[in-house]
Amino acid sequence: MISVKNLSHIYSNNDKLAINDISFEITKGETFGFLGPSGAGKSTTQGILTGLLKLQKGDVQVAGYDMNKVDNKRFNKIGVSFEQSNVYSKLTAKENLEFYSKLFDVPTRDPEELIKLVGLEGKENDRAGSFSKGMKHRLTFARSMINNPELWFLDEPTTGLDPTIAATIKNIINEQKAKGVTTFLTTHNMYIADELCDRVAFIIDGHIKLIDTPKNLKMQYGKKLVDIEYVDGNEVKKETLKLIDDKDKKRMYEIINNYTIQTMHSKEATLEEIFIQVTGRGLI
Amino acid sequence: MKLFSSYIKEMKIAARGFYFYIEIIFAVILLVILLVAVKEESISKDAEYLYNDIPSEVMTYLIEKDINEGKARIVEPTEFEMKPVTFEITNQETGEVTLYEFEEEKIITVETVERLDPETGKLTRTAYITDNEEDMIRLSYLEGQIGATTTMSADGEFSYKYYLQGYETERLVDLLYILHNESGEVLTTAMDSQVVRTIGTEQLLNNRENLLPMFIVFTGSLMGFFIVMAYIFLDKGEGVIKAFAVTPSAVWKYLISKIGVIMTTTLISSLVITIPVMGTSINYLLFLVFLIVTTFASSSLGLLVASFFDDMVKAFGIMYGFMIALMIPAFSFYIPSFDPVWLRFFPTYPMLQGYKEILLSNGDTGYVLIYSLVFLVGGLVLFALANLKFKKTLTL
Ligand SMILES: Nc1ncnc2c1ncn2[C@@H]1O[C@H](COP(=O)(O)OP(=O)(O)OP(=O)(O)O)[C@@H](O)[C@H]1O
Ligand SMILES: [Mg+2]
Repeated sequence: MISVKNLSHIYSNNDKLAINDISFEITKGETFGFLGPSGAGKSTTQGILTGLLKLQKGDVQVAGYDMNKVDNKRFNKIGVSFEQSNVYSKLTAKENLEFYSKLFDVPTRDPEELIKLVGLEGKENDRAGSFSKGMKHRLTFARSMINNPELWFLDEPTTGLDPTIAATIKNIINEQKAKGVTTFLTTHNMYIADELCDRVAFIIDGHIKLIDTPKNLKMQYGKKLVDIEYVDGNEVKKETLKLIDDKDKKRMYEIINNYTIQTMHSKEATLEEIFIQVTGRGLI
Repeated sequence: MKLFSSYIKEMKIAARGFYFYIEIIFAVILLVILLVAVKEESISKDAEYLYNDIPSEVMTYLIEKDINEGKARIVEPTEFEMKPVTFEITNQETGEVTLYEFEEEKIITVETVERLDPETGKLTRTAYITDNEEDMIRLSYLEGQIGATTTMSADGEFSYKYYLQGYETERLVDLLYILHNESGEVLTTAMDSQVVRTIGTEQLLNNRENLLPMFIVFTGSLMGFFIVMAYIFLDKGEGVIKAFAVTPSAVWKYLISKIGVIMTTTLISSLVITIPVMGTSINYLLFLVFLIVTTFASSSLGLLVASFFDDMVKAFGIMYGFMIALMIPAFSFYIPSFDPVWLRFFPTYPMLQGYKEILLSNGDTGYVLIYSLVFLVGGLVLFALANLKFKKTLTL
């Protein structure tokens, strides 16, 4: 569905490459997570894949179209949700979706149904200008589904939403996935990524560090982690140790022998911890 | 269908914002100014240029008589610097056109008489009396004021020839005769031997009608230029252009729907001003054609300018510059002697002239049609450029 080879991008007012020679493929029906800290180049990549940013260098194929010679008609099967919500504040939620649906040549979904789906029931006839940030974000998200896209771009779909609503959004994405929709998902949220994505890419400073399934990553990195809390003098200290690492093993014996243990849990590494291990950086 | 629903959406948004109302309210204010503050007829010309082709004794006698009656006083002669100029004069009675060409600059000193109101002693008008007819005609043209030649026949009858700018109304012309003659008897005589000439090829528009072209250009083209930019910046602020860019709909449809809104407001506001002033006396079809093409061209220009900037604040300087530049031709329109050639390259120049031709009962339809074509082509070019630029700059 998407094939990217040696893609680089630079903004005219910025002398550093925003994207630096990245390559990846996304197959039909796959949910692909693009994970990385702020400024990593996630939105820039989505911008190029959707054609909002001009392709400067590299080979990019999206939904059967070469991004060097694009055709607007491809958007009949593509849906895009933006990082920054962008709806007409002077139009009501329903008018926003109704108007948008008329721009497509394919059958579109019922605006009211979509509004309900994202939990904005009862707000159909309120102007988007009166919405909170999260509500606008949900409306933008709902809009991206209006043309029943086969290929779906989601830039931070859950950022800034409270956990219940984030869970709703997650379920919607899951439903779409069950219908065979291919999704390019950009996020900071590793839990969402972990649950939704077939594969994830770690991107940092414009480079892709690795691409794998969450499951493989967990097997490979820090399968056996131990969280250990102990008392040292008056202080309670906490350490996370890898059971496969000799140095960490020694450290564990040391702690057990010298201090009073308060708690000790073995666990699987989260995607976030793996990200930190791989890139040496946090996600925020 | 996409285009139409875009247009409907834009109209909804416009109707819920304030720019739409600004334009209409502005038009209503201008209309009120026209109807209340601008008198249809006016004799407020405060200067006149005279050449007296009569024996000097008679002249001296007449002036002294006026002075004694408290109707005039002689003041210091005035010096005029007359620039080279070329113009035409049409004889209203015969239709004969005379071309005047003055190639040299000339400095003259002319006798100056102030006309007073005999009751209050207040200055009403200043008369400049030249010693030859050519100087009088040239001054009258350059200063944009009334000129007159007085001649006396062998049997002592006066006759007058008036040189008008073309915008004085007939009633004003009648009043002039009264000003120049003391008794009704003389007036009739004068009327009989009257030849009124109009400087330039211009027909008569009254003061109110004469202001109309400027007001229409103002509420139509200039406001259109400004407001289309405002709409684009509103959308840029909300990021909705990006949402539009990921639909199968073409960017030009988005742009055209913006112009459609401007066109709608301009039609309303221009007709609000024009209908009450002109009634049914003009060719509205021609008017609408010209209005539509000029609005198309100026809002396309607005789109193009807007495509270079992210927000109103950044665009403000250049926008202001454009607005001022586009307003300059209005000066020439009302000051006949200020008409440098470079001014004709300002698009508002032919706009003003075009509206004037439309308002005139026997205006030059050919001129209007030719410029309609020019504006249409120019507008299409600007629109195409704006479209290209917008396609390129839909950045994240
Ligand atoms: N319009 C722009 N002009 C100049 N530089 C930009 C622009 N947009 C992004 N950048 C730069 O490109 C790099 C990548 O930005 P991008 O927005 O793709 O990051 P991101 O991964 O989406 O971050 P976030 O998680 O904050 O959304 C950053 O260094 C950023 O400063
Ligand atoms: Mg981003």
